[in-house]
Order: sequence, then C-alpha cells, then structure tokens
Amino acid sequence: MPVIRLSYRYLEKMVGADRETILAHLPMIGSDIERIEEDHVDVEFFPCRPDLFSVEGVARAMRGFLGRETGLPRYSVMPSGIRFSVDPGLATIRPFLGSAVIRNVSLDEESILSLMGLQEALHWAVGRGRSKVAIGIHDLDAVIPPFHYIAAEKSRAFVPLDFDREMTLDEILDEHPKGRTYAHIVRDFPRYPLIVDARDRVLSFPPIINGELTRVTEGTKNILLDTTGTDERAVATAVDIICTAFADTGAAVQSVTIGERECPSLAPSERIVSSDDASALLGVSLDPKDLSLLLERMRYGAEPAGPSEVRVLVPCYRADIMHDWDIFEDAAIAYGYGNFDAEMPQTYTTGAPHPVMAIYAIAREIFTGLGFQEVLPFTLTNERVLAAKMQRPLKDSVLRVMHPISEEQTVVRTDLLPLLLEMCQLNRHRELPQRLFAVGDVVEGIQTLPRAACVSIHATADFSEAYAVADALARELAVAVSVEESKDPAFIPGRRGTLVCAGREVGVFGEVHPAVLNAWELEHPVAAVEVDLTAVPGYPGQPGTP
Amino acid sequence: MGVTQEAVIQYAHLLADRGLCTVDREVTTTYTLTEEGKQYARDGLPERQLLGSFGEKIPVQDLTRHPLARIGIGQMKRKGWVVVRGGIVEKTGNDAPGEDELALRDLSRGGPGLTELRRRNLVVEGQETRYRIAITPEGLECARRGLDMSEEVGSLTRDQIISGSWKEVKLRKYSLKAPPRKVYPGKIHPYQRVIGEMREILLCMGFTEIYGGIVQSAFWNFDALFQPQDHPAREMQDTFYLRETMPLPECYGRVRDMHLHGGDTSSTGWGGRWSREKAEQCVLRTHTTSLSIQHLAAHPKPPVKAFCINRVYRREAIDPTHLPEFEQLEGIVMDKGVTFRHLLGFLKEFYHRMGFPGVRFRPGYFPYTEPSVEPEVYVPSLGWVEMGGAGIFRQEVTAPFGITHPVLAWGLGVSRIAMLRLGLSDLRLLYKSDIGWVRETPSWLVGLDTRRGGE
Repeated sequence: MPVIRLSYRYLEKMVGADRETILAHLPMIGSDIERIEEDHVDVEFFPCRPDLFSVEGVARAMRGFLGRETGLPRYSVMPSGIRFSVDPGLATIRPFLGSAVIRNVSLDEESILSLMGLQEALHWAVGRGRSKVAIGIHDLDAVIPPFHYIAAEKSRAFVPLDFDREMTLDEILDEHPKGRTYAHIVRDFPRYPLIVDARDRVLSFPPIINGELTRVTEGTKNILLDTTGTDERAVATAVDIICTAFADTGAAVQSVTIGERECPSLAPSERIVSSDDASALLGVSLDPKDLSLLLERMRYGAEPAGPSEVRVLVPCYRADIMHDWDIFEDAAIAYGYGNFDAEMPQTYTTGAPHPVMAIYAIAREIFTGLGFQEVLPFTLTNERVLAAKMQRPLKDSVLRVMHPISEEQTVVRTDLLPLLLEMCQLNRHRELPQRLFAVGDVVEGIQTLPRAACVSIHATADFSEAYAVADALARELAVAVSVEESKDPAFIPGRRGTLVCAGREVGVFGEVHPAVLNAWELEHPVAAVEVDLTAVPGYPGQPGTP
Repeated sequence: MGVTQEAVIQYAHLLADRGLCTVDREVTTTYTLTEEGKQYARDGLPERQLLGSFGEKIPVQDLTRHPLARIGIGQMKRKGWVVVRGGIVEKTGNDAPGEDELALRDLSRGGPGLTELRRRNLVVEGQETRYRIAITPEGLECARRGLDMSEEVGSLTRDQIISGSWKEVKLRKYSLKAPPRKVYPGKIHPYQRVIGEMREILLCMGFTEIYGGIVQSAFWNFDALFQPQDHPAREMQDTFYLRETMPLPECYGRVRDMHLHGGDTSSTGWGGRWSREKAEQCVLRTHTTSLSIQHLAAHPKPPVKAFCINRVYRREAIDPTHLPEFEQLEGIVMDKGVTFRHLLGFLKEFYHRMGFPGVRFRPGYFPYTEPSVEPEVYVPSLGWVEMGGAGIFRQEVTAPFGITHPVLAWGLGVSRIAMLRLGLSDLRLLYKSDIGWVRETPSWLVGLDTRRGGE
C-alpha cells in the first residue's frame, strides 16, 4: 500500500489544526501511521482511497472530520478552449485519454515533491503500475495547442526526461531506466502511444516517460495534465484527484475539449440512499437528518429527501463509492468506531467439528498415546525431498506451483513421511529415541487428502516396531486392513508392508532403507508408518464446491 | 571388613540421609616425588653431584664427560656455584644448599623451593579426599537398640508379593536428592495446542467447522469475493498460480455480472472486462475466505455460524516474520438483523476469550467487506497490536449466491497469537521445530501469560 509523506508545516496550514489533533485522528479516518518524524509523518492509506494520497486530499478529509469545513467541496471549471485529439489507431493500444489545464500554480520544492508523490501513488493504486492509467504533468507554456494523442512509429525520436539527446522510442525502452521498467506494457504493439503539440513536438511517450521539453520546474505557472490508459473510469478518476488537489491550493482548473466532451467536469454524482438501510446495517438508529450530518463531515453533500431518504452528492474524487454500503461505512467512520455500543449477536446455533478435523484429532490422540511427539511440517516442498532422497519415483499427480520463490518450495507434498525424515535430520543433535508424527493434508492432482504418518528413530528401531504401530493405528481408527508385502523402495526389502482396505492400498510401513537414511544423514534405524485417512469410516469424501 | 572404600562411603551416605551419621568430606592437596625426584632426594640434585665430582677447577671438555653434565653445568652456573673462564670451570665457593635442596629433603616445607621442584618435574601435586564419618546421637540410639543385619533388597518381586514374604523384606529406600531420569511424553505440538484452544472457543460459541481444498479456482478465491481481476492481490508476485483449471459453478454468470455492472444491487460494479479463463485458473488458496463463501453458497438460509482454521498460501520469501504458508482463522455469522454493532460485539467477546481484555476498533479496508474494521488488542509489552481484520460482506459478494441477510466476517493470523503465546520471535520455528523446544514446552499453556507479549 502506498505510504504518503505528510509535512506538518503544510498539513497544519491546510487543516487549520495542530499536529497532535491531526495525528490523533488520522487512524480514525482510515490509515496506518508508519513513522512519526520531526517534521513529517509517513502514513499508509488504504488503496480504495487514492484521494488521500496527497496532503491536499488528507487536509480536505480532515477538515470535514474535525468539523472545520463540512459538506461537498465545490469546484468550478472554466473551459480552456484547448483541444486534444485522439488517434483512432490507439483503440487497440491505449484508447482512453483524460486531460485538464491548471492555471496559476505556485510550485516550490516541497509541492513538487508532494505532486510527484501523488503521481507515484496513483500510478500504483489506480494505474496498476501504469498499465491501466499513466499520468503526465507538463509545463503548458512550453508547448502550443492543440494537442494530439497519436499512435506513432517506433522510429520517432525525442529527448526524454533526464537525458540530453534524442532517442527513438525503442531506444527509450531499451536504455532509459523508466523505459526498461515499463517496456512490457507497450512492447508488443505495432505502434506506440505518443502525445505531440501543434508543431509535432513530443510532450510524452505514455505510459513510459515525458519529454524534457515540458519539464515542470519551480518556475512553472500553468500545467497541462494528461492521463492515458485502458480503463475509462480509472483514467477519469486520476484526472479528478489531481485537479481537486491543485484546486485546493488555489489554482484554477480549466477543461480541455477531447472529441466532443469537456474534461474534467469535477461534478459530483448523485445517489438517493435510505437511512433505514443505514440503520439496519450499522445497528444504530439514524434518521435522514442524522445520516446527512454524518455524511457532511465525510465531505459528501447530503440532505434529507423524504421520510427515510437522503440525497447524497458524492465528490468526483471518490471513485471507491460503488454501492450504498460504501456511503454507510463513511457514516460509521464519522459516527466513530469507538462510539458503537458493541453487542453480542443473539444468533443461536450449535457448533460441530468437521469430520476430517475430528479424524485428525483422534489420530493425534492415538499417536500421543503411543508416545509420539507432533510436528507441523510445511506443505510446500520439492522433488528431492519427495522422490530422490526417498528412492521413490515422483508421483505423476504431484502439484507444481508455477512461479516458485525458491528451489526448496516447488511442489505441494504428496506424502508426509519425507517431511518427517527431514525433521529427524534437523534434530540430529537431539537425544534419541525420537518418535515424531504429523497429521495433515497432502495434495494429489488438485485433490486435498488427509494423511497421518510417524517415524521412530533409535538404535533398536525396526520392522516390528513399525508393524506394531501400523496395526495399532488401523485398529484404533477402525480401519479393517489386511497386510501385504510392499514394494516401496523407501523401505528395506523384506521389512516393509502395505495396508490394504477394501482392495485399496491405504498405508505403508516398515524399516526405512539405509540408503534413504544416508540421504537424510541419519545414523540410526528408523521405523516408519504412513496412513491414508480417507480409509477411515466416516470420512466425508472430497470437499466439494456447491 | 572386606568391603571396598567406595561401598563404605555409599553406606555412610545412606545412613547420613536417615540422620544416623554425619559425613564430612575433606579435600587436601598433596605433593609426591616423581621417580626422578626420589633418585635425587637420595643422591642429591644433579648440579650438587656434579659439583662434588671435581676439585677447584676443571676444563670444560673434561667435565662434559660426566653423565650429569648436561643438566648440571647450566644449573651450577645459574646458581652461581661456578664461573666459566677461558674453557675452565672454576668454583666460586658460594655453594650453600638452596631452597630447592631443602624442600627436596622435606616436602612439607613448601615455599619457593617446592615450586622450583614442581617446575623441574621432580614433584607432582595431587589431591587426597578424606571422609570423616561420625555417628550422631540418633545413630547411637539406633545402634543401642540393636542393629538389624537383615539385607535390603532393590526390587519387589512377584513371588514376594503373592507369598507374603514382602512382610520380611526390607526395600531399599531411594534418595530424592538424585535427579529423576527424564522422560518425554508423546504430545501435541505447542502451536497445534494454541490452534486447538481457538477451535474449542469457536465450537463452544456454536460455530460449525469448515474444511476444504488447498487448491481453489481463482473464481472462489477472488472473483466470488468481488476482487476485480486486475486487483494487485491477484498478481503473480503475491499468489501461487497453478497450471490446472477448475470448471466454474453454474451461478458464475451472476458473479460476472456483479463485476461488470453490479448485478441487481445498488452497486456500479468494477466495469471493464471479466475473463472466464482468469476465473478458471487454479491457485493455492490465499485465504480461507474462499471456503467461507462456498459454505455460504451451500447454506444461503439463516442462521449460519461457521469457522475455519487452516493453512493459506502467499508468495512470500521465507524470513523470521514471513512464510509462504501459515494458518488463518476465519469466522462468519449470517443471520436476520445482524449489524455492524453485533460484529464489534462478537469481536470483543472472541478476543476476550482468547485472553485479550483490551480490544478497540478502527476503520480498515478489505476488498470484500463494507464496512471494514481493524481490531486491535492491548499487549502490555507491545501496546496496541493489530489483530486481524473484519467486516460485513459486501452485497456484491453475497447477492450472487442468493444470500439476503448480512454476513459478519472476521479473520486473523493464528501464528501471530501463537508467537505471543509461546514467546517465539521466529515464525519458522513453528514449522521447522526443534524437538528439544517441543519437549520442554509445557502442554498446559495457561502458565504462559497471554498478556505478557513475546520476546
């Protein structure tokens, strides 16, 4: 989640409250304070609230929450008269464009940093790493309208930010740091998106990099904003959030004509919500007036519009408001989570364990009765553990993860026994005998199956110990088994057995093969048992989906 | 008496345990001459013998023929008995016996002479242990009454028990001062015990346990929970994707519509596109909420109270506080008329039962709940600690499955509580356990103060 740096000096000025008051209330509007420093605080805001990714946005919300300035913030937008065309060739590349002109900005080093921070956070949260939306901010006075958003030849060249020579678009993707980072978004298209002015000079190569030509500096007075992307709503949201932040600093937002429409409008959207629904969701009684007052503190426009209706104006920057309950949550935040009278629900039900968990619990009881200690090995493992070290072939049904984090965790376990031997290896320095067991899920194909297994390592561990434990387990779990000679290469020939139930192999036991012991660097004999718990009467079958 | 010294001492200790005698152990340091030392004590030190072998002076070559010359010449020079000038050894007349020679005659003199002899390996230091055994008044009294000389036996036999001869035998008493042999009982893993406690709390509160597959379709893991298909949490770097696919349930169209335009609810939906292929792809479940929603889909009528404690998977590199697999606890309550206030009430009760008296709430964000809340519990050593997340399932989540009543939901990382509870700071120890630690951790966990926190 994005961490936003809020300077106290600027924040206190914008909110009109001291830092202690602000810090005390920040978590209560929905954020996690990361670090409190001498001159600033780093705050993590929720990804659903990109409007809080700037000091201006936080201050706007905080003024409402503290009751200093409530209700809908109103923004007026005059037309700039500037036109921006969109090349139809972009329809399959990066079709959507948003834009605005912002006049009379006064930038200093701090506000440029804040602006870059907002842009970065929006790229992450709204732009999905620039693939969905990318934002460009330009010095308007360096270029001449109208502007054109075009699908350009890859051989076009311009001077990108932070470079002092012309580069072709492909060179930028190969050589510019931003080009290398974001090349994957556009690389496969036959043409690349480009923004040019009336004289065909390049402003930007979205979503990669702006041109040096329109670099924003402390001297910049007028700004041209562009947002491009693949999702119309997200492209518009980014424009609204940046424009309202600028407007709060006193700059004037003007619209740009894109095709037939003026962008942005910064107008609220309207919803009629029911105070009865809000009361039913939150468990507190709210009439339309109560609800309106709460919502005004969250910077909505709100007024009673009937016996249980409230007309709500949702600010343009609140892209997260999709459903009435999103508005009710804000009412709850204004009400104060600490002010709810928490009450236990009266819902009466009887509890019940799941049958598989009940079988696991019984298996644990049997093993501990036999003197075994439980361990809880990982379920992610690798082929060496499951196959090579066990002298076993890897099962065809083994489930591989597509992008493992390390060589140690490439597959999901198909058996427990290898993990138990790994546990013995980890504990070679501990006193013998060690009798360890594990119960838990294994995966074959996409099926999750319950298993139980144990190992006993000590100087006199042998086949008869394994046989005795296997027999006790089967009897205690009420599994009627017969025993046959096993061919499992993990065990010593002539010292291994298979448990068979209703014609199906449901377990294996025996004395672990010395070559397997060598592979695990174990110096004493090991008696081992593994049982398939699907054979236990009462096993409910594969967990299904409805 | 025909008994060894060790046996006498052992019996004396047995008597002392019964207060019949006292045993004082006294350790003294002793010095004894080595073989070489004994020889010199008889014949004199090599330099003394050498000094006596010639007159006032002697050429060096002649003296070196003497068998003790190699040790003797150097020592005589060092002690100032002789000087060597122009190849001639000449006596100085200063040849009074030194401290070493006096000590050699009488080791009990000690002092620097003894140190010198030890340095020359003529004397070795040893230790002698003496036991002083004295009878106590009780012992005297006991002896006066007459000693019972019948023999004590080590173990009770079947014959003695059934024949009644046990009445005559004297069973040897054991000393409680010797530590017992350590045995380690079979036991449940401490972490599993913490999980078991939570499970019991929820069963006692009337919750039904859910269990389900580790492998889930992205549909159940994400789409059914209204996570948009381009949500960052769905990306490859956070989720273990699998090559396998799973067919979608019949109702998938209603979930698709919810994503596209909000279905029949007041929601706008996410807009954009919705891909069936993305929904069919399998993942290792990233949360047990994928099981909760399937349980609700199968039981859409109120009331439902269900929970699940099981392993979930995130694509995280292993370090002391992150693992790619860990346990999550998740609970849901669905009923007519349950509200946000009930959710908070439920959370308070649950955390109280877990041993956290201080609970508070602040706003949270989870893609599938609205309102959302982050509960915090008070741990004296750590302050307010975030303890999971909770909320009411969005209508976008419940409506496609015909669930018309609110669903209160909450989840928490079980390992976090277990680490506080067990005093661990490295998550890995829960899974790659040191058997020594498992053996030494008591099964009864109440002795560990939940409110103390974990260092």
